[in-house]
Amino acid sequence: MTPTLIARDLRKDYPMNGETVHALRGVSLRVDSGDYAAIVGPSGSGKSTLLQLLGGIDTPTAGAVELSGTRLDALSDRELTRLRLTRLGFVFQRFHLLPVLTARENVELPMAEAGVRGPERRVRARELLDYVGLAQRENHRATQLSGGEMQRVAIARALANRPAVVLADEPTGELDAATGREILDLFLRLNRDGTTLVVVTHDDRLAAEAGRVIHMLDGAIRD
Amino acid sequence: MRSALPPSFLALVAVLALVRPAPAAAQLPGIAVERRLAGELSLRVGDTLRLGAAPDSMRGVGVVAAIYEPRPDPAQITKQDRYVRMHLPDLARLLGAPDRVDRFGVALRPGIAPDSAAARLDRSAFGYQAYPSAAIASESSQTFLVVSRFHRAIAVITIVASAVFLLCVMLLKVEERRMDAAVMRFVGVRRRTIFGALLLEAAVIAVLGSAVGTALALAAGAATNAYYRRFFHTALTFSLITPGIVGFSVALSLALGLVAGAAAAWRLVRTRPMVLWGRG
Amino acid sequence: MTGAAWAVKRLARQPLRTGLSLAGIAVAAAMLLDMVMLSGGIDRSFSDLLLGRGYQMRLTPKGTLPFDTEATIRGASAIVAALRREPALEAAGAVLGTSLYARRGDSLITLFAYGLQPEAQSLYQLQAGRDLASGAGAGVLLSEPAARLLGAGIGDTLTLVGRLDPQVVTAAAGRRLVVRGMVRWLYDYRGQPSVGMVLSDLQRLSSSPAEDRASMIVVKARQDSAVPGLVTALRRRFPSVEVSSVADLVATFHERLVYFRQLSYILGSMSLIVTVLLIATLLTIAVGERLGEIATLRAIGVSRRTVVGQVLAEGTALTIVGGGLGIGLGLATARYLDAILTSFPGLPAAFSFFVPRAGALAFAALVLLLTGSLAGLYPAWLAARTPIAATLRAEAT
Repeated sequence: MTPTLIARDLRKDYPMNGETVHALRGVSLRVDSGDYAAIVGPSGSGKSTLLQLLGGIDTPTAGAVELSGTRLDALSDRELTRLRLTRLGFVFQRFHLLPVLTARENVELPMAEAGVRGPERRVRARELLDYVGLAQRENHRATQLSGGEMQRVAIARALANRPAVVLADEPTGELDAATGREILDLFLRLNRDGTTLVVVTHDDRLAAEAGRVIHMLDGAIRD
Repeated sequence: MRSALPPSFLALVAVLALVRPAPAAAQLPGIAVERRLAGELSLRVGDTLRLGAAPDSMRGVGVVAAIYEPRPDPAQITKQDRYVRMHLPDLARLLGAPDRVDRFGVALRPGIAPDSAAARLDRSAFGYQAYPSAAIASESSQTFLVVSRFHRAIAVITIVASAVFLLCVMLLKVEERRMDAAVMRFVGVRRRTIFGALLLEAAVIAVLGSAVGTALALAAGAATNAYYRRFFHTALTFSLITPGIVGFSVALSLALGLVAGAAAAWRLVRTRPMVLWGRG
Repeated sequence: MTGAAWAVKRLARQPLRTGLSLAGIAVAAAMLLDMVMLSGGIDRSFSDLLLGRGYQMRLTPKGTLPFDTEATIRGASAIVAALRREPALEAAGAVLGTSLYARRGDSLITLFAYGLQPEAQSLYQLQAGRDLASGAGAGVLLSEPAARLLGAGIGDTLTLVGRLDPQVVTAAAGRRLVVRGMVRWLYDYRGQPSVGMVLSDLQRLSSSPAEDRASMIVVKARQDSAVPGLVTALRRRFPSVEVSSVADLVATFHERLVYFRQLSYILGSMSLIVTVLLIATLLTIAVGERLGEIATLRAIGVSRRTVVGQVLAEGTALTIVGGGLGIGLGLATARYLDAILTSFPGLPAAFSFFVPRAGALAFAALVLLLTGSLAGLYPAWLAARTPIAATLRAEAT
């Protein structure tokens, strides 16, 4: 298997009230192409911090992340932004769709930023909305969608630029059980169709369905 | 363009030529020279001047008897005119117009109305027009009444702009409290209490803003006076900030602040807490 | 979706605050436009007024401005004759302005009278009837207020008298003249009852004709570019009179109305400050409310430049819409303010303080657009430096 994402001895310290909080204490992991990895652990165990470091949103105090052979710490801010745009997809607990845009416009947004031409991105956005089961809602604004629908639009947005890995942070955390189930099914389908997924979750169902579970405690992976 | 003002009392467009030293100053007519003119021509008391109504008729001679500071006159500050004062017979002789004046001043006996006296004078002769002093004062102040009307109109526009600005800022300040209001509602604080707190905050901001605004206005007024006094070489007051103006401004901004704060606070307390929290 | 459309959608989401901001910007923009019109309009209007008949120079009594005092030039005909012999000059004419009286029954009506040379007149536009012609029986021209006051029209005969002597209660000179035409005097104030006649007629009515007095001599050069050189040459040739070009007179007028120009600068600057404060305040608070959204955008790979562009686009959209509303408001308030200022006593009725010009409009719009757009710089900077991870963590709690 080709390694897609590699973390080597990641450490992250935060200053807090004059003291240093060790959020990550030397985490190493490898995610291969086609993996479906769930990172689980109690609150404060460092799972979201790990996801942010893997996604290049935050920088480690020590250690390194490699995405498809590219070391993230070697990239400038602009290059890192470009990498997040084209090689990574993000799904957040609170969806974070732009409320003034329609479902299709939200999906088109990363493609527009990447320079994909209008007609091409409209076609792809429609395909992705169809894939997540929202073809008929493409012209609804984000505020007119339910929580589950918003999360499906967010997943379509994450897939817009055909990323190497989709990183999801508590994707079912804001949803009721039934709607969460729909998202879990969508993730399974995504993974079956070849998408590499790394998901931070408290949801036992998700962890049970993931191909691999990484347990974290006190900033370290517990084997 | 004709002057906005009636002809000046014995106004003389005099062309002056300085002759120094004075040959026989004691016998010459005395002239009082305005300070700025004396400064510009480097005149001193005792200097002798040639005088005339035009450059080709410089027939008169006079001696500087005094240098005077003219009374500050708003009608004159933008003009470059310079003045000298002479005894009436000396000036009449110089102009070749004996027994000729621009105006008479007439003092009435007590109890006689200036309007009826002026009307009677107008009926009795022609060649002149009689005016009560009040009418002349009113005519002379027309220019300033126009300026005053203009300032009032500008003030109205400024107040409208300030009111809109204040309303906008108050609305934004209160909206910043959305999350606080949501939390207070979650923990059971009554709407009335939240409304009162937001209104109090708006009042405090309005009072503080008014205090800063008053200080700024006083500083700007002082700067305006300093600048224009220097610019026009005058002792006139250009910007006068009276307690009445301060009171009006503070009252207006406080009222606007409270109205804007109340309107924004009312919107906030009527909104469901979950919506305020961003989950509704 | 374009950045502009996105910005407009965001603004439309908060209708009350956007509406208030637009109202504030519109009032500030109106004030700015008015002040730009005021700052340049005074000079422009005065210059247009003076150049209305194409005469670029004025000769007046030494030390005076045209019709500013009752001083006169003696021997005006000789000066005019000398000027007309100058090859660089196209025309020259003398003008006398003085009070005159019309006899109506037993009463006398005071009028302002212009005496002029019909072949070189710079003071009026004929509106009805016939123009003056040189020679005897030339007649008289009336302004509309004079015609109303006298109850006279074209073809009527007026008795005009001058040189009143209060001591003998009589007029030393009088003349019956036929009304030839109705004119609009360019420099009359509103409602001024003025009459015009041939210069020699007025000289006979107002003073001793032998003195050949004029209040002003107007001069037209063949080429505008030659005016500065001609002014210098005429000053040397006629040292006993004041020689002024229109530019000189505009400069003097400029000095007299310096207060309004400075006021226009101050109020114009204040308008810009209000606009900047409004837009900056609104956008700063809007950015503060949207930090989570901005952090998300940055997380999914949207560049800082795009984020900054979005914030600036909102400022620009507010400025364009508010400024557009402000133009209409500004033109309306300019008419109101102009009506106040043109009621200055003694000001020509044709004069305007607020002159709507395409240049002024374009300048005000450009300054407003630049300022309004720049007002978004601080909130845009705040948006650009939003820490992604920390903001997302804070949003998740």
